[in-house]
Amino acid sequence: MTTEQSKAVAIPTRPLNVTINGEAQPVEDIPEELMMLDYLHEYRNLTGTRFGCGRGMCRACTVIVDEPDGSSEEVRTCITGAHYFDGKKIRTVEGHAQRDDEGHVETLSTVQQHFLEHFSFQCSYCAPGFVNAATVLVERLQRQPIARSQLEGTISEALESHICRCTGYVRYFEAVRDAVLKTPGTTKEAS
Amino acid sequence: MNCRSILVIALALGMNTTNAWSAAADNSTLEQGRYLVRAADCAACHTQEGGTPYAGGRPMETPFGTVYGTNITPDKEYGIGAYSADEFYHVLTEGELPDGTQLYPAMPYTAYHSIPRQDSDAMYAYLMSLKPVNIEAPETDLSWPFSMRWTLNFWNLMFADENPSNAKDESDEWQRGRYMVDVLGHCGECHTPRNALGAVDTDQHLQGSVIAGYEAPSLTPDKLAARGWTPAALQTFLREGISEQGSMYNEMYLVFHHSTRYLRDEDLKAMSLYLMGEDPPDARVVDAGHSASVDSPGRRHYLNVCAGCHGAQGQGVPHVAVAMKGNTTLRLDRARNLVKVIHDGIDAQKFSGFERMQAMPGFADKLSSAEIAELVNYLRQSWGGLDETIDAAAVDELTSNSEE
Repeated sequence: MTTEQSKAVAIPTRPLNVTINGEAQPVEDIPEELMMLDYLHEYRNLTGTRFGCGRGMCRACTVIVDEPDGSSEEVRTCITGAHYFDGKKIRTVEGHAQRDDEGHVETLSTVQQHFLEHFSFQCSYCAPGFVNAATVLVERLQRQPIARSQLEGTISEALESHICRCTGYVRYFEAVRDAVLKTPGTTKEAS
Repeated sequence: MNCRSILVIALALGMNTTNAWSAAADNSTLEQGRYLVRAADCAACHTQEGGTPYAGGRPMETPFGTVYGTNITPDKEYGIGAYSADEFYHVLTEGELPDGTQLYPAMPYTAYHSIPRQDSDAMYAYLMSLKPVNIEAPETDLSWPFSMRWTLNFWNLMFADENPSNAKDESDEWQRGRYMVDVLGHCGECHTPRNALGAVDTDQHLQGSVIAGYEAPSLTPDKLAARGWTPAALQTFLREGISEQGSMYNEMYLVFHHSTRYLRDEDLKAMSLYLMGEDPPDARVVDAGHSASVDSPGRRHYLNVCAGCHGAQGQGVPHVAVAMKGNTTLRLDRARNLVKVIHDGIDAQKFSGFERMQAMPGFADKLSSAEIAELVNYLRQSWGGLDETIDAAAVDELTSNSEE
């Protein structure tokens, strides 16, 4: 597209400043109506975050927003505008494993490793959302441990809004329980 | 005695326990009774959420305390099983139990006062045909002096006969509409303001009120038209729970489920005639982008957290989220309902047929009061055609716990 053509289209834009997986992204003028999922795919080539229902129901598009106070939360990128994330730090599914200098995966995160060991996903379409949701949960429990007896209910509550069309729910559940129990400081014996 | 004889006797005994009234009532009477019970929305108070229909127990918060809907199944111990048709008619239209106990006017007997005996009998026959449910509803708990039921006699002297009078020269259809709206539907119980003693203020009939924190909007012809309503749209809204003007939410969503979705087309037409008149005012059309700044902070919030479902141009997404363009909630004189919906969200909704709307999250933890105010101002200016703005303090006031 020539400069003249792009002027003719005149899509309103605003500069977007966002940090993804620890790296500040180049500040670019981004269409103000663009959804975050499209920004990740089209501007950053981070295609691991999945477009599922496009309506915020399936949660395959979930990313993590890291708050300044050390807490984190899930946000659905298919229904949230890119500019909502202006000035924010986010993690996508690409940001969990440790990589070498060339970008090859060296070590998976605890959650990812347990998902593999439990054969949690089949088609994997929902996996990015589950990885992010489970990571948010494990990190929350590290900050705020719960009684061991509350763990199963807490996992269900944290993951129940995520949809897996291959119905891998039990294996996801068991993997997350393992991941929590093998992460020190997440549960207490008595409440 | 052989098994067969025992069975015959048991069946005969079983038949005896069925109320003679409903046994005698023919199918068309029962059908009519069911229609009237639905039109009167008895389930609104007499059915607990997820509970057995008409077995009571739904709490209704009033400024004077909590009133619980009673069991109106034909159970002889806790329901209306021991009532005669005469007694039922008396309770329904006068608000007084057979033993002389006065009902709290949470039971809309002031509205039901004009239900004709024939309709009362059909409602009675239908209710008596239901399966008795042996459940006691929780006891109503009002603060003193309202806990003293005898004081209600004075209340009744002052307010009980304040039903708007029949306008004798109006058409039969208009009269039917009035009966559906003012008597059976008891719409004024929420849509008419109340005085300090909790009685509906008939001087301000259907001019809008606030109930459980939400505005029950004015239903006068000019206000309805100003918010984009036509008689046809009103009929669609009541029948489907959803129309171009938006979807039912909060208390009205329950009214749709228990009541308005069952109403016959001719009754819906009569209701819209009664509400909007023979010659309804033209529905107001709001010009796109009325007076909102394209680069306002409110529009940024809208694009960030709303447009994903409601569309960047406010066009909505079918079966997911209603359009903002033409939405009646954005056009209310007061911002109350819009603020509450944005703050609290709306659960997933089921409407007629396969129509559904997805759950809307509340944004109390995503947007500050100042941001909610900016968003509300943008929505009301761009699609509501309203210039008046609100500030963060107004949002705080509407969403504070004391308001709940």
